[in-house]
Amino acid sequence: MGHTAMKTNIVQLSFVVVAVAWFGAPGSSGADNITVKDAAGRSIAISDPSRIVSVGGAVTEILYALGLESRVIAVDSTSLYPPRALAEKPGVGYMRQLSPEGVLGLGPSLVLAAEGSGPKGTIAVLEAASVPFVQIPDRFTGDGIVEKIRLIAQATGSVQRGECLVKLVEADLRALAALRARIEHPRKALFILSFMSGRPMVAGRATAADGIMTLAGASNAITEYDGYKLINDEAVIAARPDAILAMERASFRLDAQTVFDHPAFATTPAAAQRELISMEGLYLLGFGPRAARAARDLALALYPSIDASLRSELMPSERAPQDCRQ
Amino acid sequence: MRVLVPPVLLVVLLLAAAVAATIGAAGIPFGRIAAAFGLAPGNPALVDRDWLVLWSIRLPRIALAIIIGGLLAACGAVMQGLFRNPLADPALVGVSSGAALAAAAMIVVGDRYLSSAGVTLPLEALPLAAFVGALASTMILYRIATREGRTSVAMFLLGGLAIAALANAGLGLLVFLADDRQLRDINFWMLGSLSGATWAKVGAIAPFLVALAFVLPFIARGLDLLVLGEMEAFHAGVSVERLKRTCVVLVAAAAGAAVSVSGVIGFVGLVVPHLLRLLIGPSHRLLLPTAALLGAALLVIADTFARTLAAPAELPIGIVTAVIGAPFFLYLLLRQRALLGP
Amino acid sequence: MNPVLVATSIAVRIGAKTLLDDVALSLGPGEVVALVGANGAGKSTLLRVLSGDLVPLAGSVRLNGRTLASYGPRALAGHRAVLSQSVSVAFPFTVAEIVRMGAGDGRGRRIDDLVEAALAEVDLGNFDERAITTLSGGEQQRAHFARVLVQLACGEATHGPGVLLLDEPTANLDLRHQLDVIAAAKSRAARGVTVVAILHDLNLAGLLAERIVVLNGGRIDSDGTPDQVITDAMLERVLGVADAVGRVPAEGTPFVLPHAARKLLPGKP
Repeated sequence: MGHTAMKTNIVQLSFVVVAVAWFGAPGSSGADNITVKDAAGRSIAISDPSRIVSVGGAVTEILYALGLESRVIAVDSTSLYPPRALAEKPGVGYMRQLSPEGVLGLGPSLVLAAEGSGPKGTIAVLEAASVPFVQIPDRFTGDGIVEKIRLIAQATGSVQRGECLVKLVEADLRALAALRARIEHPRKALFILSFMSGRPMVAGRATAADGIMTLAGASNAITEYDGYKLINDEAVIAARPDAILAMERASFRLDAQTVFDHPAFATTPAAAQRELISMEGLYLLGFGPRAARAARDLALALYPSIDASLRSELMPSERAPQDCRQ
Repeated sequence: MRVLVPPVLLVVLLLAAAVAATIGAAGIPFGRIAAAFGLAPGNPALVDRDWLVLWSIRLPRIALAIIIGGLLAACGAVMQGLFRNPLADPALVGVSSGAALAAAAMIVVGDRYLSSAGVTLPLEALPLAAFVGALASTMILYRIATREGRTSVAMFLLGGLAIAALANAGLGLLVFLADDRQLRDINFWMLGSLSGATWAKVGAIAPFLVALAFVLPFIARGLDLLVLGEMEAFHAGVSVERLKRTCVVLVAAAAGAAVSVSGVIGFVGLVVPHLLRLLIGPSHRLLLPTAALLGAALLVIADTFARTLAAPAELPIGIVTAVIGAPFFLYLLLRQRALLGP
Repeated sequence: MNPVLVATSIAVRIGAKTLLDDVALSLGPGEVVALVGANGAGKSTLLRVLSGDLVPLAGSVRLNGRTLASYGPRALAGHRAVLSQSVSVAFPFTVAEIVRMGAGDGRGRRIDDLVEAALAEVDLGNFDERAITTLSGGEQQRAHFARVLVQLACGEATHGPGVLLLDEPTANLDLRHQLDVIAAAKSRAARGVTVVAILHDLNLAGLLAERIVVLNGGRIDSDGTPDQVITDAMLERVLGVADAVGRVPAEGTPFVLPHAARKLLPGKP
């Protein structure tokens, strides 16, 4: 290469380096700069958490619990608690069927999305966009709840309120653990996601249902697979569940009659007392701040022989209705 | 030689059913089967429980497989005769599209609107909706293809494609509107399964098989003559329009009933008759009942795999039927090709 | 003699095109009629009306005194048999199975004999187990002719001699087999069957029939004996060719007279 050509190249290169340094560096405004690590392992810098799109029932619930609802500019269709969230905020559709334009078109400064949002293509676009996109992990354990709260609190610059909520949740979890300690004979439960046409779709491991059962001091009768799958009738019999769990608001009748009329369920131990426990979906499976209470409710339903005094005992969060919204 | 095929298939079917009755996740050792049927002495508590599993779960499921397999295969044979095309199957009548669309609509719409209105549907609502959907789409198709009392088979075929495309679009929309649980429900319905078999379901679709068996001899002759073409069949004495109408109604009802109970199970209606034609020739008098036998046997075997391979989860049965049947069918085709020469 | 097949004032129109206009025909038992004319003259259309396939816009057809519409398809099949111009078979039935279809639901020794005889008559005796789809066009045609003969025979057993309608029965055949078909038709006529055959070859028409009906543009041009009908004038009028009748070709170009042909002993199939 000629001498002049090389010099031009160096100049060009320097321009490129400077440009990258200038535009690529994090905002130099300093004070409000937050960096978080999200569920996907990405390091994300957040400079302005004032206009938030919230995707995922637990995420929205936590934002409201932290008193940050004024910052929420839109929610997804699974944000069912508190009920006013869906009513007063614009919607971005179903959590697993988002559209990039739908989310970004609202001009957010931060997107908080529960793990499992989709589809993958949309998530990829959102991750690459200039608006910070934070995936909130969804682990189905007590620690998982705390993790969610902390990450959301951090990302929104409200660490103090976050710690307040974490304290409440941890107190609830301790009370729950004490309850679990009183259980003498752990029981097996089986969670039905859907019962369409008499074909049961049942939760295996690595599901929220499995997680909540563990928290409630029960074990999942089905451990041979992960996720929700159509289960073989005879396998239900072989699993011998002591109780059947289901979500409320199923459009196809999921009452005790329907379930226990089914030949596979009719011979389970659960059928003896027609033990079908129905709870609201987000409450039971959302693994949000109320999850410990849901686990408590589930435990009480599963273990009716628990000491009467314990039954009426409130959890710390219920006893002193403190809120962490300041 | 070909006269031997039906009895052989009957034996295969009975054998398959017998073997299927001994296999299942609830684990009944072979020795206890006889006791459960009261043919040998056994522990009363075990006998009771075993009999419950057999009677309430396994046997209705096997019966369902037999009936549905028979219905789908026989309908496939009728369709291939009616359209004079070995690639025809019951789906061409619009049955699968209509049923799938109706079922998906019921799943999504039902969940969205009815549940919030406090209305809950009985379990039977879904199969019923699917059946109505199947009949409705066939009826629409028939009206499109029939003018002045004459049904054009070509129009039927093309109209069927159009209706399938429309139904697919509708299905796509419903999938878009569906949430997680609804999506899974739709998906599993479309993949077909014999799970949840009860004697009630068996009783609901058995009449269709009986009706089919009753009508088959009458349409077999007509379908044979139809092979010569519609005009020739008329010349030879067939009421062609009546034959077409009968076949369409029959297939819509029979295949519609099968699909609404078990979801979409592909492959059986298309390949079983085709396969048999290679073995025993195209005469419908023999082909129709034989197809029913083979279809029933195939589905019993496929279902046995579907409910055991991935236990405790279930494999979609349509996949199993394809995996069993397709390679065998390919082998037969290649052998036929070799016989025919270049 | 009472006429067997009577067509009166037949008119057929498709859209703006008139296919048949005021066509009348009366045929008695044992009568053989050759239907001739240019392409598109309406011959096939007329045959379809006579067979009950096509319902005319005007006019009617009576078979043995009753209108065609009053017969159901099955009854009609017992009185008349039709050989179409081309039949394509979708599935590989054997020749024997196809011919047997002519007998409808019939079973038994008598049917077996009929099938065998018909196959022999069309010179397909060794072909009975062959898949019809593997035969040549001409062979397939002969198989269908055999089927039609069987249908005719079955109907005859129940209702007496019927009607045989043939659309270009000799089209794909070599001379020998053309003569076979003509002979078969004539022998049926001798037994009282009414035969109407569409033929392109005027020589064969003359060989087969004592009565020739010429269609031109949907109307009957002439109706009479071959002598009366096959004239230069008619050919000019209907086919637009001149000077073709009864002249020996110039410059030693060989011509073939089917009339003079003599069938040899049974040759190769």
